Amino acid sequence: MHLYMNIRRRNDLDALQQDETYDAVIVGSGPSGAILALELCQAGKRVLMLEAATETGKGFDGYQSLLTRFYSRVGKDNQSPFPVNPNALMPRGSELRKLASGETNSDSYIVQSGPYVSDTVYTRAFGGTSMHWEAKTPRMLREDFKTRTTFAQGLDWPLSYEDIEPDYRRVEREMGVAGEVEDHDGLDLSFPPGYVFPMHGLPLSYLDQQVGKGIDGSSVVLDGQTYPIKVRPYPQARNGVPNDKYDGGEGFTPQGAVASYQIDQGGRCQGNTNCVPLCPVQAKYHSGKTLAKAFATGRLDLLSQAVASKVSIDGATGLVSEIEVKVYHDPDHSAHRTIKVKAKIFILAANAIETPRLLLASGLKSSSGLVGRNLMDHAYLLNWALLPEVAGTFRGTSCTGGIVDLRAGSFRRNQAAFAVDIHNDGWGWATGSPFSDLQQLVDQRNMFGAELQKGLVDRLSRQLLLAFMIEVMPNESNRITVDPSYTDALGNMRPVLSMTIPDYTMRGAAYARQFARTIFSRLGAQDCTAYDPGDYGLVPYHGENYAIRGGNHLAGTHVMGTAKNNSVVDRDQRSWDHSNLYLVGGGSMPTIGTANVTPTLAALAYRSARAILRQLDGQTTAPSGLS
Amino acid sequence: MMPTSAIQDLHELYDYLDAAIQLEHATLPPYLVALYSVHPGTNPDAVQILRVVAVEEMLHLTIAANVLNAVGGKPDLNAPGFVPAYPTHLPSGETDFEVGTGAFTPAALETFLKIERPGMSGRGARQLIAKARNRSGSFLGRHPRDSGWSYYSIGDFYNAIRDGLRTLEEEARKSGGTIFTGEPSRQVTSEYYYSGGGKLRAVTDLDSALAALELVIEQGEGEDHGIWSGDGELSHYYRFQQLQLGRYYEPGDMEPGRPTGAEIKIDWDAVYPVKPNIKLSDFPPKSELLGVAKAFNDAYRRFLDLLTQSYNGRPELLLEAVPFMFSFRNMVNELIRNPLPGGGNAAPTFEV
Repeated sequence: MHLYMNIRRRNDLDALQQDETYDAVIVGSGPSGAILALELCQAGKRVLMLEAATETGKGFDGYQSLLTRFYSRVGKDNQSPFPVNPNALMPRGSELRKLASGETNSDSYIVQSGPYVSDTVYTRAFGGTSMHWEAKTPRMLREDFKTRTTFAQGLDWPLSYEDIEPDYRRVEREMGVAGEVEDHDGLDLSFPPGYVFPMHGLPLSYLDQQVGKGIDGSSVVLDGQTYPIKVRPYPQARNGVPNDKYDGGEGFTPQGAVASYQIDQGGRCQGNTNCVPLCPVQAKYHSGKTLAKAFATGRLDLLSQAVASKVSIDGATGLVSEIEVKVYHDPDHSAHRTIKVKAKIFILAANAIETPRLLLASGLKSSSGLVGRNLMDHAYLLNWALLPEVAGTFRGTSCTGGIVDLRAGSFRRNQAAFAVDIHNDGWGWATGSPFSDLQQLVDQRNMFGAELQKGLVDRLSRQLLLAFMIEVMPNESNRITVDPSYTDALGNMRPVLSMTIPDYTMRGAAYARQFARTIFSRLGAQDCTAYDPGDYGLVPYHGENYAIRGGNHLAGTHVMGTAKNNSVVDRDQRSWDHSNLYLVGGGSMPTIGTANVTPTLAALAYRSARAILRQLDGQTTAPSGLS
Repeated sequence: MMPTSAIQDLHELYDYLDAAIQLEHATLPPYLVALYSVHPGTNPDAVQILRVVAVEEMLHLTIAANVLNAVGGKPDLNAPGFVPAYPTHLPSGETDFEVGTGAFTPAALETFLKIERPGMSGRGARQLIAKARNRSGSFLGRHPRDSGWSYYSIGDFYNAIRDGLRTLEEEARKSGGTIFTGEPSRQVTSEYYYSGGGKLRAVTDLDSALAALELVIEQGEGEDHGIWSGDGELSHYYRFQQLQLGRYYEPGDMEPGRPTGAEIKIDWDAVYPVKPNIKLSDFPPKSELLGVAKAFNDAYRRFLDLLTQSYNGRPELLLEAVPFMFSFRNMVNELIRNPLPGGGNAAPTFEV
């Protein structure tokens, strides 16, 4: 069916300040905010959503304008579709530079000090980071929820895999996940009997298949255990062929592009290679698809260009009384009006950097003092090589397959687990291919015409990039803080990020490098990996240098736990300190394992929606500890 | 003498369904050339609508093949004369009109509206009308057994098929049989072909055959000639009309000709001036461009062959047609961007 987007917008700021009829205010329009909005509105509640950015991506024209901007950019980084908005800045890789130990770069939106510089990003736009996410949707493994007990590493969740499993299924329906249960064979997770994903899995690319031919059936030994390895497809929130067996034989209807008029596009992935930063046909899930349904209830209102700047607490009750919001008219001018909005429940869904930033800017460190701490992001180690034969690189979506056999195992007592992505977009992430190859062949080898064409094909279609997504455990010294010296155009304090890559992760990285060499040698590929000593993400470890990239999988900064003294939120993502405040998103996750965080944080949003409805309907009063 | 519009036997039904497949295919070259004549990056609304309609014509083509397969026929898209020589005639009410390949222009849009124009069945009008004399060239929507007569509209042509299916199946049942004797594995289902609106279902009996053809009629001209189809989809006629009226229909709009949605602007100058109904003979001999045009026709012949195989027991081959269509796009773009010495830009000729 067609998904129409008809936004209800609040422009009447005076009336809005007086409006006390909202059941909930949600800060942020990404997946967490969108799912909460839909669940609450469908249950009859009235919701106001605040979005710091403009509404540009909401309709078809706006989405297309982002696409046009992306196409016309020379530098095609993962924020290139989104214009710079000084009133709601976002981190951009292009702002980064190498920093000496103790040296500070405050020219970038996120202020960082050397020596390690994280290039993690998130998108402040209508739809949040779901506009540019890659849409891989692996679930976390059973053992990822209890790493402290099992491996004496990280933190245990106050939830088990079994607690969250039904919500993973809700996410798979809402986002439209294409995958096959059989492809999860041997992994430490389970599905209900007879479960199938809404859509059949997307096929492995030719490149994946070539890698598979070289390595399937082989194995590696780690920590005394033998691990068979093979290339498998990833489940993805990207439209494929509906599975007629889904939902007890009801089948599934993929949701394509959203627009205020009828548009038939995006019902199937077309295999474009720019899933990141923007799917050209909206076959990839973005939270606008969920928001379109929420707006259709008539109970969701949007206030865009509205930056939440302070969460105010009633001293007597400890409840949030209101949120202060700076509403601007023009992204290029800082002129704004400050208003206050009220509701029964306040939900911060601004991501694991912006949510703690807002709390800390409001002076709310929490009883545990853990707001902003335990910042996690996957550490990516890139390895690249040239295959002996043309393998069709640059065809297919950004990533269709990978190696996930080392996501779990007893070795996690000593070193980080990882999942390996095979990149269909060649060495792009590591070297800037294909643009850098073109430049090199023209400038350095004077190629032109047919020779250049042949040279490019030969070079590009043999590229293999293995991206190792390595787990990072929570560590209180990895953190987000604020500092009044660093503010944005509206006078809001910007995030200050302090991060070092723990040795546990680096042991995983060192093993990953060795693992990549093994794979390359089995494929007869020429290892071209070289980490530039001038790389801003360089991490020396045991005499070797590794360039560590961010994964944009932010988590941990308002960690979930069993009690007020060990965590910021309870298992429903409800603040221990302020019982009408919910902090939702990756920030609640105590560990991230080797799964992209979105499916898990989206699953938590369903859990919170139920808790909020119980609270609004008067069934609960206090935050919930261990049951 | 006016022939009957009642289909007499299974072989006549095959003729009708062959003609339906030919008819559905015949709209593709005009839509595709118009689509690719638009300067890249411009006229997004027109591009989107032309693309959607073309994709759904492919769906209709596949549905017609499914019905033919269900009654034991054999689709053949490589039969001589399957691709019409453009311009060709299509029926539209009392008169027929010419459909050809060319640039996206107001006149082309007018023609597209005529192609999708609602029929008159059930309104007391004759289904068959005498074809105008002295027409040369091909004629789509004609009576398959009597070339002197054509159907009033495409919808009427399909309704004749629906009536024929009902009658022939009723007769077959009287003797304990069925006309639906086709091999079910020859059916193409939605796992092999996808279009935005309308699901591709296997045709195995009278009900599924009638439902499939109803979808074709509804997507073309709307349910009971209304704006929306039964499942809320805008019909082709009204999709094109939005371009003419400069405004989108919105859910809730019920009055034909009065859309209330977002505005549409068309830049008619941002279109390559493609030479209408171009033929290989219009190209300079031995030119590089002629080579591309010939290469396109070769590729198009292979494409029709691939479709024929897909509709004859190998539906999985349809998946291979997708990269094929991307390579078409590249060739068509190469042609359309180049002016010809005699005026107008090149385009694919579809002489296969």
